[in-house]
Amino acid sequence: MTKTSKISRRSTLLGLGAGASALAAGGVLPGSLGFAQAQSSAPIKIGFQKHATGIGAAYGRWYDVATNAAAARINEMGGINGRPVEIITEDDATDPGRGAEVLEKFANQHEVDVAFGTLFSHVVIGSAPRAGELKLPYFVVSEGHHVASGMLNRYTLQPGITDVKSQVISMAPFVADNLGKKVTMIYPDFAFGHDHRDFFSQAIEAQGGEVVAKIAIPPTETTFTRYFPSIPRETEVIYHVMVGPAVLTFVKEMGEFFGPSRPEIFGFIDSLEAVDIQSPGLEFLEGTYFWEGMPRYKQANESEAASAYRAAVGVNDSGAAIDDPANVATYAHMFGCWETMHIIKAGMEAADYQGPADRSKLIEAVEAMTDMPESIEHPQGEKVFNGKTHQTFGKQYISKVGDGRLDVVHTASIEDGLYEDEVDYTTQSF
Amino acid sequence: MVAGPAFAHAADQGFVLLLPTTAYITGGAATVAATILLLVCLRPGQIEVILRPITLPLKRGRGRWCNWGQIAASLCLMLLILIGLRGPTDPQANLMPLVLWTIWWMLLFMVQALIFDVWKWVNPWPGLHRLLAPDHKAPLTLAKKLSIWPAVVLMAAFQGFVLADAAPNDPGRLASFALGYWGFTVLGMTLFGRKSWLGQVECFSVLFALIGTIRSVRGSAFGVPGWQVFHGNQFDLSHAAFVIIILASGSFDGLYETFWWLDQLGVNPLEYPGRTAMIWPTTLGLYTSMLLLTCIFALAVYLGTVLVNETASFKIAFIRFSITLLPIAIGYHFAHYFVTFLVQIQVVVATLADPFALGWNLFGLGSRPVRVGFLTVPDTVKTIWLTQAGVVVLSHVLAVILCHRTAEALCTSRRDILLLQLGLSILMIFYTIFGLWLLSSPRGA
Repeated sequence: MTKTSKISRRSTLLGLGAGASALAAGGVLPGSLGFAQAQSSAPIKIGFQKHATGIGAAYGRWYDVATNAAAARINEMGGINGRPVEIITEDDATDPGRGAEVLEKFANQHEVDVAFGTLFSHVVIGSAPRAGELKLPYFVVSEGHHVASGMLNRYTLQPGITDVKSQVISMAPFVADNLGKKVTMIYPDFAFGHDHRDFFSQAIEAQGGEVVAKIAIPPTETTFTRYFPSIPRETEVIYHVMVGPAVLTFVKEMGEFFGPSRPEIFGFIDSLEAVDIQSPGLEFLEGTYFWEGMPRYKQANESEAASAYRAAVGVNDSGAAIDDPANVATYAHMFGCWETMHIIKAGMEAADYQGPADRSKLIEAVEAMTDMPESIEHPQGEKVFNGKTHQTFGKQYISKVGDGRLDVVHTASIEDGLYEDEVDYTTQSF
Repeated sequence: MVAGPAFAHAADQGFVLLLPTTAYITGGAATVAATILLLVCLRPGQIEVILRPITLPLKRGRGRWCNWGQIAASLCLMLLILIGLRGPTDPQANLMPLVLWTIWWMLLFMVQALIFDVWKWVNPWPGLHRLLAPDHKAPLTLAKKLSIWPAVVLMAAFQGFVLADAAPNDPGRLASFALGYWGFTVLGMTLFGRKSWLGQVECFSVLFALIGTIRSVRGSAFGVPGWQVFHGNQFDLSHAAFVIIILASGSFDGLYETFWWLDQLGVNPLEYPGRTAMIWPTTLGLYTSMLLLTCIFALAVYLGTVLVNETASFKIAFIRFSITLLPIAIGYHFAHYFVTFLVQIQVVVATLADPFALGWNLFGLGSRPVRVGFLTVPDTVKTIWLTQAGVVVLSHVLAVILCHRTAEALCTSRRDILLLQLGLSILMIFYTIFGLWLLSSPRGA
């Protein structure tokens, strides 16, 4: 019973067709190697837990593009262990309860080899226990700290994207050395904002700086003018991580409050992921800084691998869909799907994976991975995987807004984002 | 617990929040109020003339082609159910949810209300049944006094499925529901006869018949939208309940996604816990909103009936005024789904290129990109918002006109005509404000 096409049409629609052709034309793809050598020619089934609907849908669309672009490349290269890759897509509706049901469908109905692709942390946290019960390897692309914190299980891994703790602490040296040591943090008053508050407060203190004010904004707030007078006059840097539909209002009102004389401003691109930086109201961000997981705008020194990846996912030099330039990609995160797909391939090949009976061998093979050099498989940059914590570590980018685009001014090293292990999943039995 | 990227797409709603929506809301409410005042100036009977249809000497078809259309619709539904059960599991690549929600629930609903009686052509229930059993004699009889109460119950249940079910988009789940409902309908038509079942129980036939009464065109007669309400239609309490249910559902459909509603429930809209966690609050909210709207509407009607000197039956006034809410229900339906429709119709077209996920590209449709970037262009967002708001305001203006005509049918003196509508006029103005506020509120679900 066929449940999905090998490459979903949606990916083609969103630029994969053009992207894959570009890759082939550029000589990156070695051409089809055929699937004949495999002991079985049955496809390797990868269950893609997609945020097709719900609040994660904008991310889901682009995760879908990156996932299917990676699957197309892997199949062009001869698949995994000589077998083609088939993506089985199920909508988790960005819903933790539904996420767990989807994993059950993957395991029992579709009989997938691994599950993959979840972004939103609450869906990961809601689904991971079921992955453990089903003994189904679950490769997440969430950037949450929940994997490395030890709250999940041996079947859940995050090898293709760094976690928020690593991202945040690696920003502190740049902020302290270049922007200022007295920081006021403005963040939404829930777990996402609290993580930034806690991780960054510690990290900036380690750099000799201090957080002079912590301004927590209720998540349902839509106007912010009354919060700005709480910013101490001594503030040298504002660190903001506002998210939600009111972000544009937040930026506009902050601009009106400060006028031309403002402190330095640093934020996380999560606030404006999939939003055009040239949107009206965002003019105030000119000259401010953002963390980026991967540079949205093509840089002069962009690597060949990063350019090939950009073409493969059908994204133009400004980080938007080639065939719909107003549709800005979730570029800071979606590379995680591409890289994770290639890690699954590498893991299955190292484990000589033949079928579900080899799932534990696959996890052990991934746990044994360490260095992942920058390459077409890892276009965001080199990585170091920690098999004990199931979490990868990589470079982070700091970009400055100028002339209506983002340009990288600093690249934080892998070492800047390292922290003590909080768990050793390898001690858990299968 | 760590939260990941907590928000999906700031742009379209973000731009709406930057619009001067308070001024627009004031303008919309003022338009409805001005319409009410304008109607006050009319002499009794003038509105009746405006709402009188013009009949053109057109030849009527015999309806045989409609039967074939219904048979084709039956076959299409069968195919969609098959695709739902056996096709792609991604709802964005499966024609079952795409056609059902985008073509039928969004598009055909509006076609039925505005353009022509499309349901007569695409009603999938009687087609095959009529073909297989053309002279079917029902063994049982459905009591006429039940009127459309069974359909009221089914529509309330359907709205619960749309709003509160954990996965109404899941192709397999949706196909199973559709198959089950089809089986139920076939059984009903067999036991009680096609006409009775479709007229009293089958809630979608009832719904499409009711919203069709707002259409300008009926057969060869044309008129101001809503004229049909006063020509050749009989309504009872069950019709009133049906209209209130669809308006309350449409209103709650807008409300339950807002920051305001989620805040009342203590739910963080930036970390929305998903539909699974919200099944009971949504269900409770939906049915409470139906009760609440019934009470508010009843109160508004009651106020009018006690103010007039003439004898006005509360029950009759309640029934007849409730029908005047239909334009608002239709307007809300349009406004609520407009943005989704603009994106999803592109997905439908692209998916039609390969309905069985076999790698086809029929008519080259699969090469068409699905464009969503327009939702991040401020000027486009503004145009879309003003279109939605305009339709909401117009729907209230039409409701006010129908309301005035209804009052003229129930009272004779000018004073009583105006007083009978007093409560409803206040309700209409506040409902306009509410509808526009829904459009301008940030959403988290």
